[in-house]
Amino acid sequence: MPFFRSTVSALLCICIALPSGASLAQTPDTPARNTSARPGYHSPQLQGDARILHALNRFTFGPRPGDVEVVRSIGLDKWFAQQLHPETIDLSDLKQRLAQYPAMQLSTDQLLYSLPSNALIRQALNGRLPVPTGEPLQAIYENQMDRVSARIAQQRQQNPSPAPALQPAPGAPAGSPAMNPEAEAAPNPNPMSRASGDASSQPPISSSMEAAAGSSAPPVDTLLVQDILGLPPQQRVSRLVSMRQPELDAFLKSLRPKERSDLNAGLTPQQAELVSALENPERTVIEELIAQRLTRDIESSAQLQEVMTDFWLNHFNIYLQKNEVMPYELVGFERDVIRPLALGKFEDLLEATAHSPAMLLYLDNASSIGPHSIAAERAARNGSRRPPNQRQAPEGLNENYARELMELHTLGVNGGYTQADVTQVASVLTGWGVTQPQRGGGFEFNPNRHEPGTKKVMGQKFKDHGEDEGRALLHFLATRPATAQFLSRQIAIRFVSDDPPQPLIDRMARTYMTTGGDIAQVLNTLYHSPEFWSTSVDRAKIKTPIEYVVSAVRASDASIDNLRPLANALRQMGMPLYGCIPPSGYSWKSTDWVSTGSLVDRMNFALGLAANRLPGIFADSAPQPQEDPPPAAGQSSDPIANEEARLEAELLPGGLDATTRTALLQQFHDQMAQRAPGAAMVRANPNANPRRAANVLQRQDQLLAGLLIGSPDFQRR
Amino acid sequence: MSTSRRFFLRNGAFALAGTTALPGFLVRSVLAQAASVAPTRRLVVIFQRGAADGLNIVVPHREKNYYAMRPSIAIPQSQVLDLDGFFGLHPSLASFKPLYDQGHLAIVHAVGSPDMTRSHFDAQDFMESGTPGNKSTRDGWLNRALQAEDLRRHAQHTAFRAVALSADVPLTVAGQVPAIALNNVNNFAVGGRGPAPSPAASAFEAMYGSSGDRIFHAAGEETFDAVQMLRAADPAQYAPANGAAYPASEFGGNMRQIAQLLKANLGVEAAFTDVTGWDTHQNQGSVNGQLANRLRDFSDSIAAFWRDMGDGAEDITLVTMSEFGRTARENGTGGTDHGHANVMFVLGGHVRGGKVYGKWPGLDNDQLNQGRDLTLTTDYRQVLGELVATSLGANNLGLVFPGAAITPNRFLRLA
Repeated sequence: MPFFRSTVSALLCICIALPSGASLAQTPDTPARNTSARPGYHSPQLQGDARILHALNRFTFGPRPGDVEVVRSIGLDKWFAQQLHPETIDLSDLKQRLAQYPAMQLSTDQLLYSLPSNALIRQALNGRLPVPTGEPLQAIYENQMDRVSARIAQQRQQNPSPAPALQPAPGAPAGSPAMNPEAEAAPNPNPMSRASGDASSQPPISSSMEAAAGSSAPPVDTLLVQDILGLPPQQRVSRLVSMRQPELDAFLKSLRPKERSDLNAGLTPQQAELVSALENPERTVIEELIAQRLTRDIESSAQLQEVMTDFWLNHFNIYLQKNEVMPYELVGFERDVIRPLALGKFEDLLEATAHSPAMLLYLDNASSIGPHSIAAERAARNGSRRPPNQRQAPEGLNENYARELMELHTLGVNGGYTQADVTQVASVLTGWGVTQPQRGGGFEFNPNRHEPGTKKVMGQKFKDHGEDEGRALLHFLATRPATAQFLSRQIAIRFVSDDPPQPLIDRMARTYMTTGGDIAQVLNTLYHSPEFWSTSVDRAKIKTPIEYVVSAVRASDASIDNLRPLANALRQMGMPLYGCIPPSGYSWKSTDWVSTGSLVDRMNFALGLAANRLPGIFADSAPQPQEDPPPAAGQSSDPIANEEARLEAELLPGGLDATTRTALLQQFHDQMAQRAPGAAMVRANPNANPRRAANVLQRQDQLLAGLLIGSPDFQRR
Repeated sequence: MSTSRRFFLRNGAFALAGTTALPGFLVRSVLAQAASVAPTRRLVVIFQRGAADGLNIVVPHREKNYYAMRPSIAIPQSQVLDLDGFFGLHPSLASFKPLYDQGHLAIVHAVGSPDMTRSHFDAQDFMESGTPGNKSTRDGWLNRALQAEDLRRHAQHTAFRAVALSADVPLTVAGQVPAIALNNVNNFAVGGRGPAPSPAASAFEAMYGSSGDRIFHAAGEETFDAVQMLRAADPAQYAPANGAAYPASEFGGNMRQIAQLLKANLGVEAAFTDVTGWDTHQNQGSVNGQLANRLRDFSDSIAAFWRDMGDGAEDITLVTMSEFGRTARENGTGGTDHGHANVMFVLGGHVRGGKVYGKWPGLDNDQLNQGRDLTLTTDYRQVLGELVATSLGANNLGLVFPGAAITPNRFLRLA
């Protein structure tokens, strides 16, 4: 995957003509010209429905059919005010959907206990963690212990020298098993990684791990399969709980996709989670984490909260596979740290991230120790008594978090700090760590690790005050004008354009400074700025993969039972959820996401989505019941053009470029003439052979819908 | 022909008027080649993202202070694969040793970007743009090298002229010359992989072709050019040659696909890929460990590529780089922090290898950069400049590395 930023071309300028609807009359909804706007700002402004569409494109993950009408009836300003206050929005439908992921409600330690990480499984194997007694937990632990020990044995066999067998796989990221030196070489633990590389294909249910461990598995009786699948849900689950390795994996591996979905038929969310945990507890957590996130992005009515959650998760990026506990920490990081504060005060968000085990582990602050701290001096005394080869790793300062805290989280790279400031910030934050990270312990301040003495950051003195010293530093960083500028620019890049006007950024930064860093107020300033409504930024943003995939699903109003194909598509397009390795997060710049390869992936995703080839995702692109109405005013007598117009209005309310539409229709007519001359007849006369007619029409509509979703126009928001 | 390609031709013609460099780094001089038999040399560029620890990759095992500064992570003198009595390879680079001994692999030490930033992101941008310290550069050095290319080398340009094995186009290859990014050559088709374009592909091609959206019009045109070419090359039939065994890693897969693309005669002139996981802030290990595993994957993948290319390797030059090195001293958590100078590998049929190039600055405390890192003695653009001059005939190095003042034959004198 791409590691850092990239660019397509500097020469390509973003400059898109106003859609045809832009001449609509100003509606009462249009806010009065804001008084804080620069006098003399004369850029043409979006009006009427074009404003509504623009707001939906920017403050949501894309409009669903009918959204424009809904916002029009509420009133755009009122709708936006609601979005700024998600607590006022009814989310009961969403909560019902999220009930499918029961583990996502657990605290980190509960989550690790009930769905143990492989690090905990190794502790259980070494006798350092008691295996819970009583089903189903015992089954979850023992199955996974069997798999992990089989893998370790396999490793030893392949690589008989003792040390390498205890080291991480070459594919593992740097720093990954830092806390578990006994980690075996684990194959890619990400269940969403693509199997065939095809975005539309589902990864095998059984990952390579199980395949490796189950190589000596007994053959599976097909009668047994039918027997188990025929049981009522509770008994089916009990039967699986009673199976042990390698029998269980052999059974699961033998299931065909249809049988696999039959296995889960009729199960409660708790039962389905248990079946998944019996197969792989760690993967269950990752799958639920990704599924709940996509579910919220697609379904939540509090769209701005989800857009900002996505924004801050990227701003405070954490990499899922930094180590084995990270998937577990990410659950709480997103749920308790980011989402509740996504529209709150930035300083609160910064404080919460700085105290979060996820961040402390991801950027190594948890292992940073003051060189003159009590702990360091104690280690030096103990260490010098031992022969050199028995000395423990020396302990000291780690600058990783300190640097990114300033460069990426607050001041920005040009925020006026030096290398000396980085070292001083790292000293201030020594002692900020995590108690029992493998077991899901929380934040702890360890005074023994804290560097004594007064520190100086950017000319400001920070006296030795233990944990409060770090709080004072975070307050200092959160209230810098450079931070206000940096955050305002980042927000403007997300919501306005890749190169947002400086007066807009200055206005947002002023709001930041006068409201104590209130994110909702900063967004409100953006909303009331003429630069945001300028026709020059209409559809100026190219969708990132997450924006593209989610907006496509929302536009097609698809019903979703399985989110894996979407997660796979994001991976394929170079933007796996929680999968950005460097702390910079993904780029918000449009052109970074336009490339030859990614266009192929986007087109294929669109075609797969519209044709219902993504397993568990159903987009109803079938034609409406035909009443054979006479062509209405402005409607052509060409039935394909009419169908295209209907789908275009649903999927792409901003409309297709006229020349693109002409090209599309021309292709359609040419192809039909060549390949299926009957199809035109069928559409003209749907009563000819009803079943065949319905099939032909449905395939046509699916292709039309796929082409619209994959069109150049749909790549923008 | 797209506007961007027309634009290129103007630039290419301009580039022909550039000065002629005399690359001393490579065995054969460009000038020795008659224009009519211009070689089809190709360049493969590998970026180690995350700042690889050069001091543990090519180990200065005669430096006492190296061992003093790295009590738990140093590679013991008995374990290095000695190269010249002073430097030795990390033992995980065993598959590089024969390439070095055969004279195909050259090493440049204490090399890197002169900018002092310790930010991964800035340093990578600077290194990829080829303009350290200048943040406004929006294209990459490799793209500009293709703009400056000697047109006699490659009269016909294809959509695969510059290709990156990644999901998006990295800055190194981004710019006026159209570049392709793809992460799987076997899935590079729209609406199915049949022998002819699918109806959906034809419709998309028409839609993008007629679109007034400049970005997507151009991207669409390049996409369908490339899809068509790759379909004709039938990459699904590929099997590595000469018993080459690529590691089953992402990087191994990328090197395998680069070999595929190079062998398929698609007109690839420059290929790029990256490999991550070098940011070893903690527990990086010594002879074994995180870095050791990374290096094994790294060297085995490159060695497999070399073997796979067989006789074709003769005309390939491969170069590796990383945004900066790491601190000379190990940190408090058994790792290393962001440093400065680093090491580069250059592999190729025309490379005068079997030698560690570059002036060695020493590792005594007073010889360190800012008292903490390996001091830089060679600008990485010096190495790349000689490479693009010889392999692409890009002699207008002022276009490729503006303001760098590269002396084409300076490098050898350093050695």
